[in-house]
Amino acid sequence: MTSPILRIEDVHKSYGSLQVLKGVSLTVQPREVVVLVGPSGSGKSTLLRCINLLNPPTKGRIWLEDQEITAPGVNQDRVRQSIGMVFQEFNLFTHLTALGNVMIGLVKVRKMRKHEAHDLAMFELERVGLADRAHYYPAQLSGGQKQRVAIARALGMDPHIMLFDEPTSALDPELTGEVLAVMQKLAAEGMTMIVVSHEMGFARQVANRVVFMEDGVVVEEGTPQQMFEQPVHERTRAFLRNIMQ
Amino acid sequence: MHDFIDLLNKVTPDLWQGTVVTLQIAVVSLALGMIVGLPIGVGRVYGPVWLQRILGAYLTLFQGTPLLIQLFVVYYGLPDIGVTLGRLQAAFLTLGLNSAAYQAEYLRSALQSVSEGQMTAARAIGMSKWQAIWSVILPQAVRLALPAWSNEAVAMLKYTSVVFLIAVPDLMGQAKILASRYFAPIQIYLIVAVFYIVLVGIAYLILTLIERRTRIPGLTGDAA
Repeated sequence: MTSPILRIEDVHKSYGSLQVLKGVSLTVQPREVVVLVGPSGSGKSTLLRCINLLNPPTKGRIWLEDQEITAPGVNQDRVRQSIGMVFQEFNLFTHLTALGNVMIGLVKVRKMRKHEAHDLAMFELERVGLADRAHYYPAQLSGGQKQRVAIARALGMDPHIMLFDEPTSALDPELTGEVLAVMQKLAAEGMTMIVVSHEMGFARQVANRVVFMEDGVVVEEGTPQQMFEQPVHERTRAFLRNIMQ
Repeated sequence: MHDFIDLLNKVTPDLWQGTVVTLQIAVVSLALGMIVGLPIGVGRVYGPVWLQRILGAYLTLFQGTPLLIQLFVVYYGLPDIGVTLGRLQAAFLTLGLNSAAYQAEYLRSALQSVSEGQMTAARAIGMSKWQAIWSVILPQAVRLALPAWSNEAVAMLKYTSVVFLIAVPDLMGQAKILASRYFAPIQIYLIVAVFYIVLVGIAYLILTLIERRTRIPGLTGDAA
């Protein structure tokens, strides 16, 4: 039994009087791909933002490998660097080319020399199949290409784990395939991933585990097969039936 | 007509000298305004609340009172508290601090129009808040503020003319002297107006060029 790469223990998150997470616990093993599903407002995105401390939890503890990242005094910027995040809206830096988007973190955060950063950034762009678009600005790329650049940007930081927040929800249907293909390739290379997505085909093929959340708690989790074929809870069944249609 | 050309020949050298002074005041004041205005604009958006309040008071003071009063206070008022400035220094300081208030406001609205996702993405790759502001938000905001900033630069060329009231020999100051020397105020003020128009035209050309050179597809509205 290997030690987990991520351990979330009883995480709560409130915004004022609004309780979004009401005690979530989850353990992720290295190389595991976990797909988070659930109705909107169930707290999936909030959970991802708690994990990389963009919105630290109000209560509960999170460990990344051996380090408790919710402990006081932890360098949060350093933690975020080792947790890659991909957003629904891509959030590419508008004023930089694809290459610049991948390079900026290498230069400013990883303090690499320009030419080293350039070479690594080109390598990451090649990994997502976009080396030939290196000098395009975000506005000159399709949605699918933007999202692949965003993945390359996150990979450049050499993350221990990658979080995907509905990476294909903002894309036209014909563009989701190229992004999912890149994610599938990453999974095959052994990247640990937590993916919030309603792409059930992806969940079936790539996920080791599917976690169903509702109202700020984990209702049920299991292998894709269990979850899709014999969910225990009625709520899980109802939700999955709905999105499969 | 002959008289007019004669007059033009007589006044042009002095007006050139005035032009140099006007340009000097405009450039120094804009630069000072930028150096002071940039941190104010950033502080207004990203600073702690107490700082935002103080900066807000500064802006109210400079945007809410006439430039001429500011100039008189700096030139005639500051000596009372032991700060005596030369005429040019008073002009630089007043116009610079005044311009800082306007430049800060242009920058503030540009900073606020950069989408929140840019900050989130920068933090997500491990940048600190100030790193993100400096490397991601500001480069975009400065480009977005450029059109408004261009208007400020052009307005500055004309605002400088108030300094003749503390006897700085700028374009306007020279005009006043020449008008009484040659008893031809209308002709001379018209000539000076043409000088200002040419200056403004050149400034527009330069600024348009800068806007074009720094343009990025998708950032300033026009697609690729």
